[in-house]
Amino acid sequence: MSAAVTPRAVANKSDRRTLVKAIRLALGLESAAVRHNTQTFNRNRYRAIAALPDYDALKDEARGIKERAIADLPALLEQLRASITARGGHFFVARDAAQARDYIRDALLRHHVRLVVKGKSMTSEEVRLNRELERAGIEVAETDLAEFILQVADEQPSHVIAPAIHYSRERITALFKRKFDTDLPLDTGEDLTRFARERLREKFLAADAGITGANLIAAADGSLMLVESEGNIRMTCLCPPLHIAIAGVEKVVPSRAEFGAFVELLAASGTGQPLSSYTSFLRPPIDAPPFAFGGKSQHPREFHLVLVDNGRFSMRDDPVLREALYCIRCSACLNSCANFQTVGGHAFGGETYSGGIGGAWEAGTGRLENARFNELCTGCSRCVPQCPVRIDIPWLNDNLRARLNRRERALLSDVISGLAPPPDQHARLPKLFFANYHAFAAMGTRLAPLSNWLGRLPLSRLLLEKTVGLDRRRELPPFPSRPLTSAAASAARGSEPGRTNSARARVALFADIYTNYGGRRKWLAVMRVLQAAAIDVVVTPCLPEGRAALSQGMIATARAHAAKTAALLKHYLAQGRDIIVVEPSALAMFRRDYRHLLDDAEMVARLRERCFEPLEYLWKLLTDSHTEARELFQAERFASGPRLFYHPHCQQKTIGAAPATEALLRAAGFDVASSSVECCGMAGSFGYKKDYYDLSMAVGEDLFQQVACAEQDGPRTLVASGISCLDQLRAGTRRPVLHPAEVLAAVCSL
Amino acid sequence: MSAPPAVSSLVEEFERAAVATAATVERVPRSAAALNDALLRATAGCERIVFAEPEALPEDLLALFRADPRIISNPSDDQLSLAQAGVTEAFAAVARTGSICVRLRGMTAADSLLAPLHVALLRAETIVERPRELFDAGAAGLAQDFVFITGPSATADMGPLVRGVHGPHRLHVIILE
Repeated sequence: MSAAVTPRAVANKSDRRTLVKAIRLALGLESAAVRHNTQTFNRNRYRAIAALPDYDALKDEARGIKERAIADLPALLEQLRASITARGGHFFVARDAAQARDYIRDALLRHHVRLVVKGKSMTSEEVRLNRELERAGIEVAETDLAEFILQVADEQPSHVIAPAIHYSRERITALFKRKFDTDLPLDTGEDLTRFARERLREKFLAADAGITGANLIAAADGSLMLVESEGNIRMTCLCPPLHIAIAGVEKVVPSRAEFGAFVELLAASGTGQPLSSYTSFLRPPIDAPPFAFGGKSQHPREFHLVLVDNGRFSMRDDPVLREALYCIRCSACLNSCANFQTVGGHAFGGETYSGGIGGAWEAGTGRLENARFNELCTGCSRCVPQCPVRIDIPWLNDNLRARLNRRERALLSDVISGLAPPPDQHARLPKLFFANYHAFAAMGTRLAPLSNWLGRLPLSRLLLEKTVGLDRRRELPPFPSRPLTSAAASAARGSEPGRTNSARARVALFADIYTNYGGRRKWLAVMRVLQAAAIDVVVTPCLPEGRAALSQGMIATARAHAAKTAALLKHYLAQGRDIIVVEPSALAMFRRDYRHLLDDAEMVARLRERCFEPLEYLWKLLTDSHTEARELFQAERFASGPRLFYHPHCQQKTIGAAPATEALLRAAGFDVASSSVECCGMAGSFGYKKDYYDLSMAVGEDLFQQVACAEQDGPRTLVASGISCLDQLRAGTRRPVLHPAEVLAAVCSL
Repeated sequence: MSAPPAVSSLVEEFERAAVATAATVERVPRSAAALNDALLRATAGCERIVFAEPEALPEDLLALFRADPRIISNPSDDQLSLAQAGVTEAFAAVARTGSICVRLRGMTAADSLLAPLHVALLRAETIVERPRELFDAGAAGLAQDFVFITGPSATADMGPLVRGVHGPHRLHVIILE
């Protein structure tokens, strides 16, 4: 790794090469600590929300409060101004970062402040407050230990609630030894904490002013809600006579009555604690005497609330970015993101904000180009069920990507024939390739086996890598020699005619492009198990349903694909057939994403209710009809034994279609060990891209290790539901990987 | 809503949750002698104690402890910063999370924060089931400045979890039954 690359140097990723550099930096230096810490938060969060019996109702309530508060924001701000000034406080709305800096600097200079203590505030990072104050000759002491580390190291935050999450204890020791002239032992967390506490205690007692952020603000009485675990924010509010709080305008809610839901959601969603050590509610200036150590001049308490617009009112007018204003900065979306877990916010983040939600914040409070790191959002959607205010973060990123695509202008438009180009078919070539994979695959299938032979040639792979960014190290699935739609149709025709009449259910098997062009055995297995359960199956024509386009931010194309697919499926639904979808990412389009892409709300609802993953459907059918799975499938017939390792697909988990597969396999008598990783790292086309290959494989490490762990007492057959998960697992283990339907087809007694 | 849980079950739930946050908890009968004994045990080894007069507890309950010579009355700021224990009232608590609610007013704000040991006095009947009840209509959390304290101050910023950062290293809750 080049020693010259520092986190600061790669903070701004408006140039895409910087993103690649930042990934390299993070994988080399920061990955281990980030992985350990985010995964701990993530595990604890699952535990904490499981202890909230009305978690979903709380989320609805919090979402509702935020929606209404943002809608009423101008009125709430006026009410808040009145509340603050009535108590003798000062209230200021800063239009931009410079105004916020100037106001705070001037307030401090008016009081001849020489030393200011600060609690953690992302908004102060956003407006670059420290630099301005230091330039004015004011010493700034960051008192949150993570911010203290960052101040010593001169780095930007890498996580919204744990800004130095990328630092291991060992690296902190090395940093402090380098920066402080001390003989004190600094070799344990206790040593380091004691060292920082003692330095900072002096600062608290000598400070003339304190600056904090605010997690929420109540318009009715000016109450601040402040969440922390170290006690430094309480010290900052208590010790010096002058208190300045800085926060985004979006933090305002009507009254303390609205705080309750957030108190219960915030810590649980963030660190995974029931509550953080300290959650304070105060209306400064507080009714407690300030401190006067060492002859420090004694002033009466004074309070300033500085609310920052800095683009937030424009976000409010933007139907997409407005969603980000609901964010309560809990970090659940960061901690549940496989890419974030692996590189953290110095790669998957900008100058202040990071992770899935960070792109919207960087774009909203800065420039659109600053959101380019959101390329690392693969759309895996694991953050979606974790968000306490129900923000559809992948959809935010799809939109940001669409806007970035428009900026990048066309390189090539109609390379791919047979497409009526929607307005976004002018993105960069790699995006066009991955978004239009169906056209490439259709051609490959027409030309198979020639195309497969060509595809294995080093020269072809070099060309593909240079032109569309498809990494040479990735093995490509071979194209079938004939379209599977025809193979499947003949299999369907081959089913016994008598069974159709006594059919338990009638379904249409949607010919998704991934299975159609790359999953021959898998699909035949699905046909076989469905028919074994006396399900009448017809196969639809093959259409791109829009996932590939959506993932490249080509929303117009995705909409066109969605409309065509919906029209096709409508026909089958009208026949009373449920829809079976083999590829989970395509199924998730129908169950989750189409609400953004289709205008017909009724069709969206019907698709959500009537599209199923094959094993999910089978399990539901068996359960509903009180049929024992073992009547159809017997694990002991499986040649390689009943032990399986199953990896469910990320989007399959998000739409709740994963547990049924495990349940059915277990009911058939299999011994199933499951992965608990959020995503395999391949995430559709993400891991095939040259720029992201290393990251993708690093993400996969967790999965590969879980396989090894589950096999300590003997080997297991590897099973995965998603086509790219299969590829990733195969790449990481160098072993064959089966689809669950293949396992069932092999043990089917009929 | 179902009937509110009995005080005794809330006390038990609170105690379990508080212990899980690394606080220590002791239940004491409501008498001056018993409370004084509990405070002596809790502050054993401390030579300088700061004590914020409770607002809701009956005065006579603290008659014995108030006479403890280790208590610095009207401490200067320097004395405050050198105290080894701070004793304050908690006006409410939350069973589910093991949190106590402490006013941020007068000396209670400093006494619950600056010393390495914080001892909180809690009336059993003020324990509620969940945090949000403090913000229900008419509840005690709506109209005063206060803090939910959940265990001692802590950080994971220096690598492993460390208890005792800028706030107290130890939290001891005395529940008056």
